[in-house]
Amino acid sequence: MKDSAVRAGALAPTDVDLSSDFAGIRLETPLLAASGCFAYGQQFAAFTDLRRLGGLVTKGISPAPRFGNPVPRICETASGMLNSIGLENVGVDDFLGEKLPFLRDLGVSVWVNFFGTDFETYVECARRLSAGQGIAALEMNISCPNIKKGGIEFGTVPEVAHRLTRACVEVSSVPIIVKLSPNAGDIVGMAQAAAEGGAAGVSLINTITGMAIDVRKRRPRIATTYGGLSGPAIKPIALRMVHQVAKALPELPICGIGGVMTGEDALEFLMAGARAVQVGTALFAEPDAIMRITEELRALLAEIGSADLHGVIGCLEAIPPESPM
Amino acid sequence: MPYEEPVSAAYFAARVEERRTLSGGYFVLQLVADRATPIAATIPGQFVMLRGEWGRDLLNPRAFSVFEVDGDRRFSILAKVFGRGTARLAAASPGEQITVTGPLGRGFQAPQVGRTQLLIAGGVGLPPLHLQARRAAERGVPTAVEMLYGGRGREDLLLVDDLSAWGVPHSLATDDGSVGHHGRVTELLQARLARAHEVEEEVEILACGPTPMLAAVRKIGLAAGIDTSLCLEENMACGFGVCLGCAVPVYGPRPYRYCCTDGPVFDAKEVRW
Repeated sequence: MKDSAVRAGALAPTDVDLSSDFAGIRLETPLLAASGCFAYGQQFAAFTDLRRLGGLVTKGISPAPRFGNPVPRICETASGMLNSIGLENVGVDDFLGEKLPFLRDLGVSVWVNFFGTDFETYVECARRLSAGQGIAALEMNISCPNIKKGGIEFGTVPEVAHRLTRACVEVSSVPIIVKLSPNAGDIVGMAQAAAEGGAAGVSLINTITGMAIDVRKRRPRIATTYGGLSGPAIKPIALRMVHQVAKALPELPICGIGGVMTGEDALEFLMAGARAVQVGTALFAEPDAIMRITEELRALLAEIGSADLHGVIGCLEAIPPESPM
Repeated sequence: MPYEEPVSAAYFAARVEERRTLSGGYFVLQLVADRATPIAATIPGQFVMLRGEWGRDLLNPRAFSVFEVDGDRRFSILAKVFGRGTARLAAASPGEQITVTGPLGRGFQAPQVGRTQLLIAGGVGLPPLHLQARRAAERGVPTAVEMLYGGRGREDLLLVDDLSAWGVPHSLATDDGSVGHHGRVTELLQARLARAHEVEEEVEILACGPTPMLAAVRKIGLAAGIDTSLCLEENMACGFGVCLGCAVPVYGPRPYRYCCTDGPVFDAKEVRW
């Protein structure tokens, strides 16, 4: 602490090294675009410098294309939004043939989010995707609340998650990172199940199931009644879960997700124990949000006297007990 | 002749230059960008996503049809206070910063020679059709378009004087009969189509307004076998094809297309309503 205090102010933001290692994957910065908020990247090329991302996570890919849910699919809520898109995606073949080449050429870490509708299609998807060139990792979505079959039970029962992770790890030539659901009863148990199944790391959290009602129409505001809540509204819950998993499983790399809008938000996740951070909902309003957050994080690290990420990841100290009166 | 293909959009900062209050709770917000933008190439029907410095409260930007364009930095939107986002924008003061993504989406076709475009505007659906009429006037063909404009009452019908000044033919309809035809704009449309049929005039329909009106226009257009373009609205978070929130049900090999990138202007035949 003393050293930091002495060094604080002496560092310029340009002196700060943001590179990190996540489960053996080199990241130039710890900031990645989150799945579902980035599509397959092309749309952002007009608005931001994609080569300056730490990495990106694609829209969730399933073996066959999916067309998604009825409308309305989204609505805004207090400091957040609900969505029920329904995991619409182009499927493995079109992804590998038409979407991946663009992403690979960016030169940043490409993580491909994937899912199946049952055990066999999860494994098939992992096997086929991992044959793609230029994929750094597969992020296994066991936590989407928006499909009827598949998503949620894989994400809430540790034994099932363990078996599924193991089966996918066995067929994949790249690391598998398991994206956990906050809707699981025991987040640490789920992280442990993923780790024991051979996951290289975990991403948390996915959206939290929620709802909103239009009282004048007496109807839910989204067609499927329930949807996934994202945005700053869920950040405190995400931080708590990252912290719990980091404390229980200090060796397991964690990618923190949940309402990151600023460099300070990102640093909170790092201090709670995440080794990388994903930015999601913020990208809708501000397609170049990650550029701004990166510079804010750099400036903030300089301000607190940290020349790199080693000193901040998991550095959270407990509040000392009150001294007796 | 058709407009050029849409140019690619930009993400840029702008400032509120002027806010004008109109009747019926409507307002015009004029914005000026801090640098040259592709906004000059806006095609009527294209839209912008706007967001003020709203912190973490109103998270997503709001979509608005471009109403007027002046050069490559200055443009305006015309809107009505509807929810919290429009209320914030309606209260924006000159100098306030607004971030903009746009121009986005696919707009209307320009008028073709020998074929009158009937512009069917209902209430908040005026802006893209007003711009379409303005463009026709600017190209020296104000009678290539004709506006049929409906609202609840006189205070809902805005800037009708512009149409007169441009020489754009127009007729009005109000639910309360305070001005123009006492009834719905779709009744004006049916009468107008009957007249066109009698004299073998070639027409097409361009419509923007509340969804029930668009559904009625769609039915009328399809029944008469007339090319009909509908400018739709759907909840959207991003406006550029990423969130996939603004799905529009369509006929064809895929059950949905996107209001933001495939629209907002759709062929009525394609829309699965």
